Amino acid sequence: MTIPYKPRVKRQFVGGYQPRIDADEKAHGRAPYADDMISDRNYPGLLHAVVLRCPYPRARIVRMDVSKARALPGVKAVLTYEDPEVLRMKPTNAGWTDAVDTVSYEGMMWRKFRDRRVLGDYATWAGDEVGVAIAAISQQIAEQALKLVDVDWEVLPFELDPLKALKPGAPVIHPETASTNVLPPDPVGGPDVFLVKGDIEKGFAEADVVLEMDTKHHNPTQGSLDPWCCMATWEGDQLTIISNSYATDQTRMHVSQMLEIPIHKVRVVSKYVGGQFGRGDTGDQPFFIFTALLAKIAGQPVKFKHSRRDSFHDTRQPAQYHCKVGAKADGTITALHFKSIGDIGAHADHSVFALKFAPAEISEAALAPIPNIKMESYAVYTDHIPGCMMRGVGNSQFNFIFGRMIDGLAEKLGKDPIALSIQNFGHEWGSCPDASLKAVLETGAQRIGWTEKRHQPGTGPLYEGFKRRGVGFSVHPGWHAEWQEERRGQVQVKITLNPDCTVTLDAPTVETGTGSNTCNVLGCAEALGFLGIQPKDIAWVAAIDTDRGMRDCVQTDSAVSFLQSEVMIVAAQELKKKLLDTAASFLQLKTDDLEIVKGRIVGAGKEISVKELLMKGDLVPISVMISRHPASQRTGVPYIASFAEVEVDTSTGRTQVVKLVIINDCGTVMYASGAESQQIGGQVMAIGEALTEEIIYDPVHGVPLNFNFIDYKMPTILDMPEIEPVLLEVWRGAGEYGACGIGEGTLTCTPRAIANAVYNAIGARIDEIPITPDKVLRALGRI
Amino acid sequence: MVDSPRNSVNEKINLRINGEWHEYEIGRDLEPCTTLSAFLRERLGFTGLKVSCDEGACGACTIILDGKAILSCMMLAVEADGKDVLTIEGLAKDDPVIEAFAEQSEPGHGTALQCGYCTPGFVMSVRALLNENPDPTLDEVKEALSGNLCRCGCYAGIVMAVRHASEKIAQRARQA
Repeated sequence: MTIPYKPRVKRQFVGGYQPRIDADEKAHGRAPYADDMISDRNYPGLLHAVVLRCPYPRARIVRMDVSKARALPGVKAVLTYEDPEVLRMKPTNAGWTDAVDTVSYEGMMWRKFRDRRVLGDYATWAGDEVGVAIAAISQQIAEQALKLVDVDWEVLPFELDPLKALKPGAPVIHPETASTNVLPPDPVGGPDVFLVKGDIEKGFAEADVVLEMDTKHHNPTQGSLDPWCCMATWEGDQLTIISNSYATDQTRMHVSQMLEIPIHKVRVVSKYVGGQFGRGDTGDQPFFIFTALLAKIAGQPVKFKHSRRDSFHDTRQPAQYHCKVGAKADGTITALHFKSIGDIGAHADHSVFALKFAPAEISEAALAPIPNIKMESYAVYTDHIPGCMMRGVGNSQFNFIFGRMIDGLAEKLGKDPIALSIQNFGHEWGSCPDASLKAVLETGAQRIGWTEKRHQPGTGPLYEGFKRRGVGFSVHPGWHAEWQEERRGQVQVKITLNPDCTVTLDAPTVETGTGSNTCNVLGCAEALGFLGIQPKDIAWVAAIDTDRGMRDCVQTDSAVSFLQSEVMIVAAQELKKKLLDTAASFLQLKTDDLEIVKGRIVGAGKEISVKELLMKGDLVPISVMISRHPASQRTGVPYIASFAEVEVDTSTGRTQVVKLVIINDCGTVMYASGAESQQIGGQVMAIGEALTEEIIYDPVHGVPLNFNFIDYKMPTILDMPEIEPVLLEVWRGAGEYGACGIGEGTLTCTPRAIANAVYNAIGARIDEIPITPDKVLRALGRI
Repeated sequence: MVDSPRNSVNEKINLRINGEWHEYEIGRDLEPCTTLSAFLRERLGFTGLKVSCDEGACGACTIILDGKAILSCMMLAVEADGKDVLTIEGLAKDDPVIEAFAEQSEPGHGTALQCGYCTPGFVMSVRALLNENPDPTLDEVKEALSGNLCRCGCYAGIVMAVRHASEKIAQRARQA
């Protein structure tokens, strides 16, 4: 049953159910994506680039002969690891920034882990871009030329198992950044034991019950349908890059600093992006650099586009967690110890963010009331595909052990896990019990039918002879309240009032599907309420272009939905002042005597519509550009939860999700249809992650086997259950709206909710995802 | 490349694209190995269809050929000789399927699209389904759309859009 959410404050536009502003354009297939714009038709003389990918999990190029490739008719540029412009290039990584802020090379977040070379000679996973890039008049000729490159590889021993890679004596994968395969401590992530609060030994001694458990989170990939691509073109010393990067300002900084050309000589343009989901961690990808260099050599525009296989270039950070929890008989948790081993794969990038930074944040939120906590983590290089961001950074992995701990401890104590959660968790700036936590759990319990459906593990009725049902949940603190976005620096918004009282809104952010563009327009219409206009009277500028001189607010942290709207409130007030000044001058009255009500300027017995006034003037639009820091007021965070009902076929081992209830406390719902779309949509990734999606390697040769959409199994419409999205407004952040990002958090809790429901169904624990039929049958002792 | 009769100079193909017949010359306009999706997108500029997997696994390149939804990345352009090609650009501006995908915002189901990359493929699959079966059951809808991936996960909104498109078709038929 659909129950629309109840807004805390009734607003005219913000929070509404309505179509997206780009829905018509997208439904007609007219929305332009980078791959649509960068075509041979649009750019005569366009060249197509390819890059060599190492076929071995670890290897070094000993010698390379590109003469046959160069000689192939149609080849226009060849760039190799031995060319001077490549040799002098600084080492880099894809961990410059999580794209919250724009950073320089020196200021990059993970500057201790610069383990990537642009076209280096050393590869650390079967898929690493190395050695040579070629541009030719067609994709086919470029690919043919690549086959003509003669490479002598020194094939090196590889290691896929992080537990073996971290042992002393294991061959070191990146000696330039780590003397063993474990990443050394760094200023952002901290030491191996990165959090100590109280004394866990004392806490465990005080406990009546002590429980230990292990979980393993694997390597799902983002699976954006829009393969990454870019075009680089030079006019003299001016470089332009068009791409489907979601971070134009950061891409410009990256290109400027890697190629050592001034910022004003680099222009980056992006428009629509067919799904981002954290791929590549940031836009700081070597392909921008070698594509730009190829274009310079050839003197022609060059396009580089990932094939579907190439689009498998990173994953969520796989992590194994161990947890020890101690609690009193009354349910009070006295101590928690978390230890994780992260399989970071071939490159460090942002992996420490997932392993240390995110769990440390959770200690301030959910775990704040727990007196004794210790957290330690070991980030281990292997020869797997690199892993880090995927619709969240570290939270999904942490939730998989956190929700396991709640479920296991409640069972051991003979308590209800919902009551146990409310009893123990809160946040540093709030009180316990936490109102938001209580609301998400109690609402979820009611909507899934917790009391009626929850039973002792494995004791429910049998369906169709072999099938058992169960319910489970998991809960997590949300993130990306406004205060958590301080690092973003100033958020910029420009509102232009046209003479006919329509509005052009420049709230720069690359539209990746999140719906923040619609939030922006609703927020703008709300802030400009005095003009009496509708959202349809506002044009949202879709193309993001660094030459317009504004930094784009990147679609990360799911926070753009409200950050720009908060700035618009200030911009709208400024605009109102300017408009009143214009009116006062025109009407020869004092500004203070005038007011604007629903698009009409009134005062001193006079009245004129804004449109009439402006059309009689000089027809110069009134523009206001505001830059504003996110509010720093510490408001804590709200909660999110997933409740799952599953059916497990005990004869085949197949798990099917029957129903999901997804509850997000948002602070303020900015755009209800968009928020529900995020809640419902996130479950495709969540169910895939929990049950079917997995990158599989040949253990003998170390090569990934399923870099395609047939063998990498993403859920289709047939695999999706009933999903009930529930939006709440209980917690409140800073600002007019006091909202919080939800897009990433919609899927954080679902894999654990499903795993707990499977346990409730069959009475056997499976703590390693994906929960495939073989694991179920093994847990049941059938194989 | 092996020479074959189809490779000979001046061999032509004829395609009816969105209602109009066109003649193309192999070797000049397209190669024998050019896929229909690449030909439509790169050469002719019908960029509504997307090439996402290029191996028949995602449905983003779905078009309608002689009335049936097909994956244009799995067919060579020359194989379409003499056939009737309908791309999303060839649908009417007020096509009920397009309208329904654009309008869906019924509470509880989300929108029928987010990033929009898969949308033209879904629209064409739904269009072909409703041409044959204007009032499909939920199971029939799911079966017909099981070859289209939406990574943003708007399947619930898409189901509603199909229902609304079906209603629009019925309503327009009554009015006509």
